[in-house]
Parts: sequence; C-alpha cells; structure tokens
Amino acid sequence: MKRRVLIIPCSGIGKAYGSVGREAAYQVVEELRPDVTETVCLSLLTMGDADAHAQVRESPTITIDGCPTACAKVNVEAAGGKPAAEFRVFDVYRAHRELKVRSVSDLGENGLAMAHILAEEIAAKVDELKDEG
Amino acid sequence: MPVLPKRKVGLVSCSGEELAEGTLARVATLYVLEQLRPDDTATICLPLFLAGDDKERAFARFFPTIAIDGCAKRCAARATEKHSAIPTASLVISDLLAARGLKAPSSRRQMDIVKEPAANVVAHEIARQVDEILGVPRQPVAGLRAEESEAARATCSCGSDIPVAHLNIAGKDVEVIALPLIFEQAHQAGETFDQVFDQIRIYNVIPGEAELAYRQAIQRAYEAYCANAPHLES
Repeated sequence: MKRRVLIIPCSGIGKAYGSVGREAAYQVVEELRPDVTETVCLSLLTMGDADAHAQVRESPTITIDGCPTACAKVNVEAAGGKPAAEFRVFDVYRAHRELKVRSVSDLGENGLAMAHILAEEIAAKVDELKDEG
Repeated sequence: MPVLPKRKVGLVSCSGEELAEGTLARVATLYVLEQLRPDDTATICLPLFLAGDDKERAFARFFPTIAIDGCAKRCAARATEKHSAIPTASLVISDLLAARGLKAPSSRRQMDIVKEPAANVVAHEIARQVDEILGVPRQPVAGLRAEESEAARATCSCGSDIPVAHLNIAGKDVEVIALPLIFEQAHQAGETFDQVFDQIRIYNVIPGEAELAYRQAIQRAYEAYCANAPHLES
C-alpha cells in the first residue's frame, strides 16, 4: 500500500474523550507509525475542501470518536470516504475503567495512558491495513 | 420573557489537527472557557455543525459567536456562517501572531498555556473580544496563571436545549429559534399574540419585507398550539 493511512480524530473540544482521541492520533502519526500515517484537519473536511475530500476517498482512513455523535466517522462518510476502521475512546474506557481522565484541557497521567492504549490499538490496525495493501 | 439559557458568547474553534496553530486555537479557547471567562462563554465542536441537528446549529444562531481559526482557510468562521449565522467576531491565529511578532509553537501536541506565550496572547485576545461583545468592562487579565484561578470545566453545548421549530413561511422552510418554549410560557401566562411576536423577534432576525408573512405563520402556529395545549384553570 503506497498511500499513507489517514488518522482522523474528532478533537471534540467540550469532552475529555475528544482530547484523548486527538492525543492518540498524534501518538500514532508522530511516534508510533510516522512513516506510514498522517492526519488531516477534520474541519477542513467538514467544509468541503477538495484536497481533503480526495485524501479520504483515496486513502485508507481510521476515525477516532470521543462521543456517540461520531463526528469524525460521519464527516468522513459525508466526504465520500469509507473508514477502514472506527475507534471509540469510550471502548478503551470500558476495558480500562481504572483510567479516569482529568479534564478536556489536561488529560493527566490516566488520560495520557488511555491515549497510549488507544494509539497502540490504532497502530496495530495500521499494520494490518499495510499488510493487506 | 421565556427562560432560555443565559446569553453567552459562543466560541467556535477550528482545532485543525494538521497545524500547531490548530492546537493553539483549541488550547487558547479552552483556557478562556475554563479560566478566563467561564461564566460568559460556551462552545461547540465544529464538526458537529455537519454531524449535528437543528439544536446544535441553533446554538450559534442564539449566541453571539467568535470564530477562532488557526489558518487563513478560516474553517470555523465559514462553518459558523454556513450553518448558523455570521460570527460576531473572527480571529485568525496566524495573522494575530504575525501582528504581535510571535512565532507559532513548534509542536502540535498538548500545550501548557502558562509556558506557551503565543497561546496566552491568543487566549487574552479572545477574552477581550468576549468582553467587547457582552459590553462588560473588566480589568486586564494579562499575567493570570492557570494555577491562580479556580478552574471550571469546559463543556460543549451539544444538546444545549435551545428549542427550535420549523414553519412554512411564504413557501419557505424557516427555523424559528425558541418558538416552542415561547409558546408554552406565553400560553401559561395568558399573553397576547403581540407579546408572543415581540419575544420571537428577540431571538430571531425577521426581515422587514417578510414581517407580515412571519406574523401570519407564527399566529397560525400559536393558535394551533393553544387549541391543542392542556386547558388552563383560571
């Protein structure tokens, strides 16, 4: 697979899980799989930017959502993309209820740990997609 | 007057994931929401404008808004205008930093606003604009450090409970903000239709040339509401 995998978090500004998703996305694209992943501004996608739309239509895309509204998934689909995988921060919390995120602006140790667990799961999915490609 | 959410300034931040300025927009907005003006501001996730419903979009029609954008593509301002109303104020971080001779942070990861001068400048500029919109004179807040202030929790306004209704007015589908609540409370208080219409005007822009059509459509809707509402004991 030549194209980089797009990692698109919702970045929900009013919810701590939005911050967890955003941090997880950066951990993947900057630390865990920097050579094979990238991100794109969700706002740009939402506003119909032609380049952003082309990216999600042509690249394998992974969405990360912080709340049930699933803005990342909904907006990728509205742009003509089909997420190859959809992650929900809440699922990580369900598996690790000991991790309580401090706040939307300060994840705290637990929030960062939650982001890291999610990032590792996403990185594994990226590997799968690259192998399939 | 219906009991609607307190009038606040809505902050709509771009949060652009690709750029450090996007993180800066997000961090500075959160600082205003949590520390500088917690009682006077509210926010909404920008992508929710598309993913959300009428209630989400009513948020930015009900509240005066400030769009905070990381770059010249101005996604937050354009989205607010497209889905709700023209922002009351607009701020582009790349322009603001250039005007103040500041550099954008080198990293787009989590930022500590206390240690990041650019984020501090942006946050205080947003707070200044909030005060200007609300007409509230305040002492300068520059230099306030996060640990000196009791932090509030930023929450979004999705599901902010600003009720809306759709009416067919002169052949067009028109969203009328706060109409259900105004009807309910006016009916309970036994108010006249003129009083109802005056309240509708407060929360909605009614074009002068369409006023008669608005009045007729809303009056019909109010009469229908009263006919179906529970009988009130006098």
